[in-house]
Amino acid sequence: MYRILVINPGSTSTKAAYYRDSDPVWTELLSYPSERLAAFPAILSQFDMRRNDLLKLLDEKQVKVSGLDVIVARGGAFKPLQGGVYRVSVACLDDVRNGRVQADHISNIGVMLADALAGEHSIPAYFVDPVSVDELADMARLTGLPEIRRISLVHALNIRAVGRKAAALLGSAMDDLDLVIAHLGGGISVCAMKQGRMLDVTNANEEAPFSPERAGTLPSGQLVRMCFSGKFAQADIKRKLTREGGLLAHLGTSDLRAVEQRIGAGDAQARTVFEAMAFQIGKTMASMAAMLCRLPDAAVLTGGGAKCELLVSAIRKHIDFMGPVLVFPGENEMEALALGALRVLRGEEREREYPA
Amino acid sequence: MSRKAGPFHILVINPGSTSTKIALYRDLEPVFDKAIRHSTQDLSPFERIADQLEFRFALIQECLDRNPDFRGEIHAVVGRGGLLSPIEGGVYEVTDAMLLDLREARYGQHASNLGGILAHRLAQQLKVKAYIVDPVVVDEMEPVARISGIPEIRRISIFHALNQKSVARQAAEELGKPYAELNLIVVHLGGGISVGVHKRGRVVDVNNALNGEGPFSPERSGGLPAGQLVDLCFSGRFTHSQMLRKLTGAGGMVAYLGTQDMLEVKGRISSGDAFAAQIYDAMVYQIAKEIGSGSTVLEGDVDAIVLTGGLAQDERLIGDLKRRVQWITRILVYPGEKEMMALARGCLSVLMGQEPPRKYEDYRKE
Repeated sequence: MYRILVINPGSTSTKAAYYRDSDPVWTELLSYPSERLAAFPAILSQFDMRRNDLLKLLDEKQVKVSGLDVIVARGGAFKPLQGGVYRVSVACLDDVRNGRVQADHISNIGVMLADALAGEHSIPAYFVDPVSVDELADMARLTGLPEIRRISLVHALNIRAVGRKAAALLGSAMDDLDLVIAHLGGGISVCAMKQGRMLDVTNANEEAPFSPERAGTLPSGQLVRMCFSGKFAQADIKRKLTREGGLLAHLGTSDLRAVEQRIGAGDAQARTVFEAMAFQIGKTMASMAAMLCRLPDAAVLTGGGAKCELLVSAIRKHIDFMGPVLVFPGENEMEALALGALRVLRGEEREREYPA
Repeated sequence: MSRKAGPFHILVINPGSTSTKIALYRDLEPVFDKAIRHSTQDLSPFERIADQLEFRFALIQECLDRNPDFRGEIHAVVGRGGLLSPIEGGVYEVTDAMLLDLREARYGQHASNLGGILAHRLAQQLKVKAYIVDPVVVDEMEPVARISGIPEIRRISIFHALNQKSVARQAAEELGKPYAELNLIVVHLGGGISVGVHKRGRVVDVNNALNGEGPFSPERSGGLPAGQLVDLCFSGRFTHSQMLRKLTGAGGMVAYLGTQDMLEVKGRISSGDAFAAQIYDAMVYQIAKEIGSGSTVLEGDVDAIVLTGGLAQDERLIGDLKRRVQWITRILVYPGEKEMMALARGCLSVLMGQEPPRKYEDYRKE
């Protein structure tokens, strides 16, 4: 039996969990109200506070670090990496400390926390499938302008975790299957997974379907005119794309349940916008079959949005013809991290080395 | 409506940005076909497109006077449709309301705006009727297709409607079913690339090939990651018009390889230019993705994918595309873009009484 500590720093909390093999023993949330975080100018400066709170938690839980087999953390917006389980290395820590990352995000300090806790005890520290997983095929990297390249920043942890679950359900291995997977969260990413490799993904921040909070791809000409209209600052438009777009912009809420209620009460505008989102998700999923050159073995829906039955059925209408549609509602990051570490401990998967 | 027998003689006028094409059709048979080229110097004195009217009219008149083909009876004149109000596809009689919108360029400046105006003028002389067929503004999109990720931007239907509708009808003939009963994905492969989803005779979704949607093409950028596009706009490196030019005219293949000529690019690829091959592969892949998207709009019920336009003559391109989308359905290929024939065909269907001509005033949106 393996004892696994899982650490997942989010913007207003640190989630920690203790697993015995694949069984969660406890999961705790250390919350950080934004007033408290306001005192920290940079994300890295939260490190000491978050480490100390974690040590306190382990004390309370009477978990001794020396008794652990592994510590696994959520990865950050690191350099582009192959999917997999990585050992936290000096090179990786150096990149984070020196800002050699693709985005300044709190998840970057996960590896620092894991390394600090493992500390003197020679316990391996890992991270699994960070958002910077980049397995794009060359043909998927290019856009219609040389100044702009497509960037793979994606819900890789959950997408690869449900890829494995889908494979198990189909009685096969992820590496033997062709899948199209849509992660439905506040942002939506869609992935063409060919034999385990994420050969094309939409970047939820700026591409493809609109989502509860994000605008997705927009007609370029109209977007350019908006930029030069003099009516908007750059930051205003960027906010419309990533935090105030999609359902929120059209309907004033990004809460799927609220939208569902309005549809139930006969709100025609809510219905059209909701159906348009499902329509765009379906279109993006089918576009990914062009990478596979065939229909996928399964089309997979996951993430919080997959809990919304109305959304699932609206998407199904468009993609049912693609093959079996498998739904894995929600997103279990802690489990995905624990299972990744466990596969390495059990020798089912080779750990990867973070490239220097 | 009573059916009328031909043969009918149809005068076809197609003004483009660098030429005016004139043809005479006897039913679907081209009797005369000529393109009068206009150099940049020819057109430079004219500030607006509408100002070119007399210049082009005189050239057409001269051509008609000189050729004995035009001395017999002509039953109708058909012009290329221009930028008008969004309207349903079909054959429209040129009316005063349409002429006003074209002359004043209410929906934008484009050489094809002269099509309706010139046709009208010629038709008056001949004492017959003037028509236009399936202009680029044909708009049959479903409500869900109009919505983008922000309310400030609505998706707009502007595409190669004339050629798309014409080859869709041709495909219908080949499939032995009426166009209005078929589900087709029509792909126009030209300098710009449009992928239209034809659901039982209506184009319910299509990428706006002029305005930066869908695949990149020999000279257009297609859809782009929105955040990076915004950053580029605010970078201070480019003016508004430079950015728009990148989307239409200076984007896509030409931006990477300095040429929009597919033959040249293929030549470079065969001589081992890996970069050219990479750009070509990316373009093919993006076209295939757009076709894939279209399959969900039809919920998988697709009778045929129809490939057309100048690039559909390229067997390698067709082969590479087929490999990526043949899981959807059968693929029909109609290479080239036969605009003159498409205009004549539309006009003929009205003359034969197969299709009533539409009135712009009835379909125009305010």
